Parts: sequence; structure tokens; C-alpha cells
Amino acid sequence: MAFYRYIIKRLLIVIPTLIGASIVVFLLIHIIPGDPVTVMLGERATEAARLALIEKMGLDQPMHIQFINWFTAAMKGDFGTSIRTNTAVLDEILTRLAATMELAIGSVFIAASAGILIGVTAARYRNTIIDQMAIGFSLLGVSIPIFWLGMMMIFLFAVVLGWLPVSGRLSLGLSVNEVTGLYLIDAILTRNLKFFIDALRHLAMPVLALATVYLALFVRVTRSSMLEVLGEDYVRTARAKGLKMNIVVFKHALKNALIPVVTVIGLSVAQLLGGAVLTETVFSWPGIGRLLITSIGFRDYPMIQGIVLFVVLVFIVINLVVDLIYAYLDPRIRY
Amino acid sequence: MDTEFMMFIKQFKKNRLAVLAFFVALALVFIALLGSRLTAFDPLSTNLDARLLPGFWADNYENMLGTDGLGRDLLARLLYGAKISLKVGYTVIIITAFVGIILGIISGYYGGILDMLIMRVVDIVLAFPPLLLALVIVAALGTGIEKAMLAIAIVYIPGLARIVRGSVLTVKELPYIEATLAMGGGHFWIMLRHVLPNIITPTVVYLTLLLGDAILYTAALGFLGVGIDPSIPEWGAMLSGGKDYLLLGKWWVTVFPGIMIFLAVLSFNLLGDGLREAMDAKLRV
Repeated sequence: MAFYRYIIKRLLIVIPTLIGASIVVFLLIHIIPGDPVTVMLGERATEAARLALIEKMGLDQPMHIQFINWFTAAMKGDFGTSIRTNTAVLDEILTRLAATMELAIGSVFIAASAGILIGVTAARYRNTIIDQMAIGFSLLGVSIPIFWLGMMMIFLFAVVLGWLPVSGRLSLGLSVNEVTGLYLIDAILTRNLKFFIDALRHLAMPVLALATVYLALFVRVTRSSMLEVLGEDYVRTARAKGLKMNIVVFKHALKNALIPVVTVIGLSVAQLLGGAVLTETVFSWPGIGRLLITSIGFRDYPMIQGIVLFVVLVFIVINLVVDLIYAYLDPRIRY
Repeated sequence: MDTEFMMFIKQFKKNRLAVLAFFVALALVFIALLGSRLTAFDPLSTNLDARLLPGFWADNYENMLGTDGLGRDLLARLLYGAKISLKVGYTVIIITAFVGIILGIISGYYGGILDMLIMRVVDIVLAFPPLLLALVIVAALGTGIEKAMLAIAIVYIPGLARIVRGSVLTVKELPYIEATLAMGGGHFWIMLRHVLPNIITPTVVYLTLLLGDAILYTAALGFLGVGIDPSIPEWGAMLSGGKDYLLLGKWWVTVFPGIMIFLAVLSFNLLGDGLREAMDAKLRV
């Protein structure tokens, strides 16, 4: 019963956050110094075009009316129209979602599986050379600028060695029967080996660059969480009754040590689904992050607002799910 | 106080890597202070006859690290960039500290509706992925390094406010606060004289860790070409056109600025980690 109460309580906290975040996104267009219409359309826009935009965005109405109109439309799935492409903002976002998801899933999968393994090993062999190497690596990983790492990979693997393509999702001339939009899965579904290999070659560098940074984070969290658990009384009891260290680590400690790791993994996925802005820029990956940067360049404010709102929604929902999983795994936090 | 500080130093010195990082950071500060005097070249002046020259590895001892796509001396730009990165770093930290500490203390000390309001706003800001929030703030405010600093500070303030609030909540319940109140001490006096000194250590450690992060974020904004004018020799901005030169095999334009960012961020992260460990050890004693 307590769990259901917790769910309801947690859901109720989401609502003010969601509305508050929407207000912030909405106000974005109103903190632009100067006249937003001039900023969006440029100095040379005709009076008719200006009036049309004001009319369309309802900029002549009082602020609170504008917000309510914008918010209710957004909740119904109408995120407005892009100034640059004149298409629906949400459609533009959704066409790029698959590319972004492919990066997010791929990199988090690699980073989480390797990160947990390395983190547990480091904690198991605390203060040995293995542990120190893991710490050193994770420190390098959190300090390296990912965009620079990406560029260095391009130089090594694409320019010098010529093994991998420089950018994009597919080679020119290759076309796809899109089923899910996730190219690797589409390739398997359509049994197209050539397509699969090409997509994989394009995916390799951006996924590895992202995975390196997240790997560092996961190693850190797993290691410190594992160390904490290994200091618990029940671990000592298990050791005292003669169980082997590996059994204690993997059968008793791991499950409890993973709880905070799951949270961090969840939050990383949430962050990455909002587009890995830097990585997508380096590798010209056609995802949501790239769309955001392009839109900022064109001062396409409806698109910027739409992307940010979308990302925040995803972020809030995943946060909620992670919290609920956490509460399910660890009954102590259902205060 | 003195002995406590000495213990802290003693603990810190045990971590050799952190001590090394301290000296690297110190060197960066010197470069930032002296930067323009260490080179004969102007970091901004272009020379189209000297574009993309390689450096010492090709026996060019005049432009030791080569020149960039507009013929500007890379070493001069890197040295000048140290000044920008550090300036951005500490300005962001000062703004964050000032606003975050005030909000955190008010929230934790007074509690009630003020606390609820501040914490709700904090929740809202934390609902945004950090880089995304900084990006859109800069996108709205327009180009300018000051605006980039403000944007990054806005991203950090909620986190600090929350940490400070947490510390204040523990300190507030201690008997000596009640004693001061009973003796007629005013709230402002108590916050300034009794609460603030007690939360300063965790705050400083947290801020050191943020410093490396702030430099990384600034470089990211510069690289994306959002907020920072590309002609400014900011390390990240120097990387923004770098990919095209890499494809031409002109690696030095990209390699050196990246190393500088990496070194700066790494040294501040190590320093922050060292400080935190030293503080934890001190607390355990």
C-alpha cells in the first residue's frame, strides 16, 4: 500500500515541475533582447510577414493568454511550426528521434556493461593496481572534452587509418526500408547485410566516444557504491561464515550495490535522449542535438522551444520512472 | 583553526597526484596572468600568407606550435586562451557561490514558504539537462562571453543552493544557535557569523569540482559556436572549425587546444578530488 501512496505522491510533485519548466521554456522567447519578431525574421522582413508571424504565434495577446494557448496546444501534441522549414516542430523532432536513440542506447549499453564490470572489479581488488588503473581511467574520462575525443578519433580512424567513415549515418547512395528508424535493427529485419555493416561502421565512432565518457561515470559510481556495500555488516557475516570473496561480491553485494548505478544509468539515458549535442555535432549525426544547434543558428525559436520542451518532458518522465524503480528496489526510501 | 587547517594540508599532501594537479593549476594561473608577455605574436592578428604552417616538428621555430587557418600564431592563442578560460571559470564560480549560498542559507534557515518556493524553482531548473539549459539561455541572450558565463552560473546555482540548504539544516539544530538566539542575537548575525563559517568547507570543495566542469562547459559552448565569438582565442572556439583542418591532415590546429582544455579540466578535477578526500579524512579524525 505504501508503494502506491509513494507513486501518487511522486506524481503530484511532477505536475508543478512540469508547469514550471514549461513556463521557463515559454519565457525563453520573451527574454530575447529586442523585438523577437525582428530577431526571427531579420531586419528586412516585410510588414505583412511580420504581422503574419505575430498573428500566428499570438504575440499580440497578453502574456498569460499566450502561455495558456501555447501550453494547452503543446500538451495536445501541437508544438508549433518551424520558421526555418515551415513544418510542424514535433514532426521534425520525431524524424530525428531514431538517430538520437540509436546513439543513446548503443553507448549506454556498452558503457553500462563495461562500467559495472570494471567498477565491481576495482572495488573487489581495492587499492591494488587494478583499482588505481580504474580510478585513473575514470578521471581521464570525465575530464576529456568529448568533442575533442571525437575529433581525435576521426583523425586516427578515418583520416590516418581510413577504417571508418568521417560522419553521417549511412554512405551516400545507400537507401533504407525504414521500419523502426533504428538502422541496425532495420537491417536485421530486412536481412540486408551490406546495409547492416555500413550502418555499423558509421555508428562505431560516435557510440564509442559517448561510451568512453559515460563509462568513466559508471565505473566511478559502481566502485564507490560497491565499496560502501562491502563495508556492511552482512558482508562481514557472509565472509565470516567462510564464503569465498567472489561469491559474496556477486551473490550478496552486487544486487544492493547496483541500486544507485541503475539511477545513474537511467539519468544518462534521459540526458542522451535529449540529443548528445556535442557528439552529434562532431560526427554530423542527424539527431535532435544537431537539430537544436541548427535551429539556434537560424534563430528558429519555435523549434528551439519545441525541442527543449520535448527534452524536458522526456527527462522528467524518465526521472520519475527511475525514482519509482528505485523505490521498488529499495523499500527504505518510501518515506 | 590553525591546527585544523594544518591537518587539512597534511592530509592533502598525502595525495601526490592532487599536489601535482595543484602545481599544474598554479602554472595555468601564471600563464593566464603573463600570457601576452610570453610570446611576441598577437593572438588576434591574421596573416593570410602564413596559413596552416606546421610548427617545430617541421623546423618552424618562429611559430612553435604552427599557425591556424587564418595564419594566427597558435601558441599565442593558446596562452591567451588560458586567461579567458580561467576568467570564465572563476567568474562562474563567484556568481554561483554568491547566489547559491545566499539562496541556500535563506531556504534552510527560514524554512516555511520561502524554502518551499526556492526549492520548487531549484527543482524546475534541475529538470533541464545542464548543457541544454546553458545553450538555450545563451541562444536567447545572444552572443557574448559574459552571457555564456551567466548561463553556466544559472545552471550551477540550484545544485549549490541545495547542498548549502542541506548543511544549514543540520547546523541550525545545533545548541549554540539556540544559545545565540536566547542571548538576543539577530537572525542576520547568526547566519553570517555562525551558520556561514560552518558550511564553508563543503561549499569550497564543491566549487573546486565545479571549476573544472565550468571550463569544460565554456569550451563546449565555444566549440558549438554558441555564445562565444569565434575570433576570440577561447580554447573551445579554436576547435570549432578544427574538423575540416583534420581532414586536410593539419592536426595541430585541433590537437593543441584540446590538450589545453583536457589539462585544465583534469588538474582542477584532481585538485577538487584531493580537497574532498582531505576534508573527509579530517572529518573522520
